[in-house]
Amino acid sequence: MRVLFLEAPYNYKAELSHEALTYIISKGYKTMGVYAAVQFLGSLEKVKKQLNDVEIKMVTSSPERSQYKGQLLGCDVFTGNLKLHDDVDSYLYIGDGKFHPLALLHGQRDLVKEDIKEIICYDPLHGKINVLKIEEVMGTFKRYRATLIKFLSAKKIGVIITLKPGQEFMKMALRLEKKFTDKKFYFFVDDTVSLNQLENFNFIDMWVNTACPRIAIDDAEWFSRGVINLNDAYSVKEILEKKSVLNEV
Amino acid sequence: MELYDLELLKAIQEIKKVKAKVVCVQLPDGLKPMAEKIEAEISKRTGARVLLWLGSNYGACDIPSGLKRAGIDLLICWGHAKFHKNIEGW
Repeated sequence: MRVLFLEAPYNYKAELSHEALTYIISKGYKTMGVYAAVQFLGSLEKVKKQLNDVEIKMVTSSPERSQYKGQLLGCDVFTGNLKLHDDVDSYLYIGDGKFHPLALLHGQRDLVKEDIKEIICYDPLHGKINVLKIEEVMGTFKRYRATLIKFLSAKKIGVIITLKPGQEFMKMALRLEKKFTDKKFYFFVDDTVSLNQLENFNFIDMWVNTACPRIAIDDAEWFSRGVINLNDAYSVKEILEKKSVLNEV
Repeated sequence: MELYDLELLKAIQEIKKVKAKVVCVQLPDGLKPMAEKIEAEISKRTGARVLLWLGSNYGACDIPSGLKRAGIDLLICWGHAKFHKNIEGW
């Protein structure tokens, strides 16, 4: 079956408001990593010029799953997803809502606190900024770290696999059995993850999510026994041994 | 002018190009109120049967399964660009 993607681009050229520029200038940034939702990519050139005019260098990258340079996805939550090779003083996100820019915070989970950059979210529809700082997700990190530790000793693991082609990682999910031979894995398949069904499987000690990684972050409260993402299950010891903001909580 | 360009001409051209008889329209929450307009335009200008996806559209990774079995020839997913899946995980 054919699929056509229509990006629904923003019909206007977004440019940073006076309020946004004033804030950015006040911070004394020299280099900013700039990303946008696909609808606002057409505005990046204008934003670049505005930043250059106040002697701030704009850099961006092609995140690994994106179609376009500068396009941020909500799943860019792992260190290295952005493929950004420049050092930046902060990030600037062009778009509405917090879903995408929160990924930029989660993507810094494995850094030490001194290296964490704030995220300036610029909403072109209202000309307003919202600044996201790491404190916003420290509670999430604390809960997530506790679940990573729990995974080390948990015996009965429920693995959630979606049948949606873009999010299905069946083979990688099944390989968990070979890496962790001391655990019993139960593999659950679903289309949209039925969060309200989790409690029915009361023999499960905790869950591994292999669908959208935001489920284990944004929907964590549905998992009373805890949930971690597939990638993190594979490297749980390395994550916990690393000097990082996650391990500072 | 609307805030976002729905690119309906592209949708109609694709439907005609692939001679789709049944089209499924998948919209992100912000564009779901536009479903009435989209359904009317596509129906009028192509004659295709339009089915509206009720559920989520969180990204280009969020393509529903089972559409082909339901006789759908073309899925039009609004609000996202093509997604490059890394088969080794996220």
